[in-house]
Amino acid sequence: MELLEGMNWGLIAPLFIIQLILLIVSLVDLSRIEKTNGPKLLWVFIIIFVNIIGPILYFVIGRRND
Amino acid sequence: MSLIQIKGLKKSFQGNEVIKGLDFVLEKGKCIALLGPNGAGKTTTLRMLSGLMKPTAGSISFSDAKKDGDIRHLIGYLPQFPVFYDWMSGFEFLQYVGKLAGLTSKEAKERSLELLEQVGISDAKNRRVGKYSGGMKQRLGIAQAIIHRPQLVMLDEPVSALDPFGRREVLELLEGLKKETTILFSTHILNDAEEVCDEILFLHNGEIVESGTMVELRERHQQAKIDLIFRKKTEEMESTFRNNHLTKSILIDGNRISVFVTDVETARKEFLKLISNKDWQLDKFEISSMTLEDVFMKVVGK
Amino acid sequence: MSQWMTLFQKEIIEMWRNFKWIWVPITFILLGVKEPLTSYYLPQIIKSVGGLPEGAVFEIPTPTAGAVLASGLSQYSTIGVLVIVLGTMGIIAGERKSGVAAMILVKPVSYLSYVTSKWAGSLLLVWISLFIGYLSTWYYTGQLFDWVPIGEFFQSFVLYGLWLTLIVTVTVFFSSALLSPGVAGFISLALALAVSILSGALSHLLEWSPSQLTSYAGALLTAGELPDDTLPASLVALVIILIFLLFSVFVFKRKELAS
Repeated sequence: MELLEGMNWGLIAPLFIIQLILLIVSLVDLSRIEKTNGPKLLWVFIIIFVNIIGPILYFVIGRRND
Repeated sequence: MSLIQIKGLKKSFQGNEVIKGLDFVLEKGKCIALLGPNGAGKTTTLRMLSGLMKPTAGSISFSDAKKDGDIRHLIGYLPQFPVFYDWMSGFEFLQYVGKLAGLTSKEAKERSLELLEQVGISDAKNRRVGKYSGGMKQRLGIAQAIIHRPQLVMLDEPVSALDPFGRREVLELLEGLKKETTILFSTHILNDAEEVCDEILFLHNGEIVESGTMVELRERHQQAKIDLIFRKKTEEMESTFRNNHLTKSILIDGNRISVFVTDVETARKEFLKLISNKDWQLDKFEISSMTLEDVFMKVVGK
Repeated sequence: MSQWMTLFQKEIIEMWRNFKWIWVPITFILLGVKEPLTSYYLPQIIKSVGGLPEGAVFEIPTPTAGAVLASGLSQYSTIGVLVIVLGTMGIIAGERKSGVAAMILVKPVSYLSYVTSKWAGSLLLVWISLFIGYLSTWYYTGQLFDWVPIGEFFQSFVLYGLWLTLIVTVTVFFSSALLSPGVAGFISLALALAVSILSGALSHLLEWSPSQLTSYAGALLTAGELPDDTLPASLVALVIILIFLLFSVFVFKRKELAS
């Protein structure tokens, strides 16, 4: 608990916000896109449950670049 | 006035000659169908004419080409399976292509709206192209091909992927387009060619096997034919028909005599009279004609 | 020029529509900022979680601000490069594969403009993402450790930008030379990796190698001084960028668009 109090929330909070933006944007994109590499549902799980890396992975390899 | 001259055009893929030397001239303002069965080389020919493929040999000369040989401002091209940026709307794509072809933003916008109307997809203009149906894509494809008012529009099988409905509409679109520009379109369906075009280039196995206007082709091939089948054919019958002044040529097959004649009506009367006078036993008398379809089949069947 | 702008604008808009303008800068922020945060909080986390035997002296030396910033920056030459290459590899090959390149280039579009507008669009994204990401890293490092002089920040930023520009250009080249985006990406990555390893191993011989730009930027931050070989390495990078860009156009022009 002492640790949490010692954290500088002014620095941590913005990161949570942009991480949330990343999550939302990737889900919006996923819902719009027609085809992904691999099953779409799998990407939903990856984006939601794999913290930070999930959405980035989706954009880099899940999204079909055509 | 001639628009393009094609001389000795050849194309090989890995030593396999697909186009074996084409020579033809396209006149301004005409509508020409490049007709041939699948694999005849229609797509390859159009790709070479549009500059997307380099010929192995031969020359393509446009009368209005730029000094460096660039002809792209003169042509509009629609591939068999047009592809767009799926994330753009149809309206955006047309404006984009229009600006690339040299229109100002304002011109591109106005011309795009006009074309969307003309090809009948105004309602879907703000929808993403990715959501368009095949027929809508084909129409958008035609619109993008003519946006810069090219002298020559080349369309590769514009109707073959469409259902009867869509095909009807696109053919009507081409009918209207004929008034504005020169059209060269490929098809493997004779009816489509006949319907829209005045001229046909008949392509088979990489060669032009027949060409000309519809009227010329009909005249050249549409010989009237009278088939006569007798109970028992004799030498006398053969020589009588062979030497008749109306006969152009004659084909004999067992008891059947096929007579190609110039004037069917006169021939019908005269032959029937002749047969009844001689009291020949006739089993069958049939008048038929060689259609373009027959020509097509004959050529393809070879 | 207006045609070039039309092509360039299309690239920019496309990157909005597929959210590249959002996710690439965010990735760069998270990649960089992670370093100062973990080097600051990790010792505390270890301490509070405990598990260390009573009386064990556990000292992690506090790194200097320059070292922290340098390690944040180094993320861009590893994962950053990966993201850039994978995001750029389809830029030309993908359009050619789908056939849309033929639709566009059958219009009177200059091949030079087509290739360079794509190149410029990618570069703009990379430079902006790098700037935002690195600036955030610099800010976090300043808040948690010490402020690194802004001059050093900018110099190291430019050196990294130059290296990433080279990576983008090489990827664009392979994308225009090959039909498969995947193969183009793989070769670009392999080449970047090989050059980095080789230049690292033979650093005394290949001081002018552009991949040294990353270590020179790091050296500036940790030692406060720019190595002498920075200028030649930068010039070599510029020359290679130019050559690869021209080759991209040349190779692309010679290709048949339909096959």
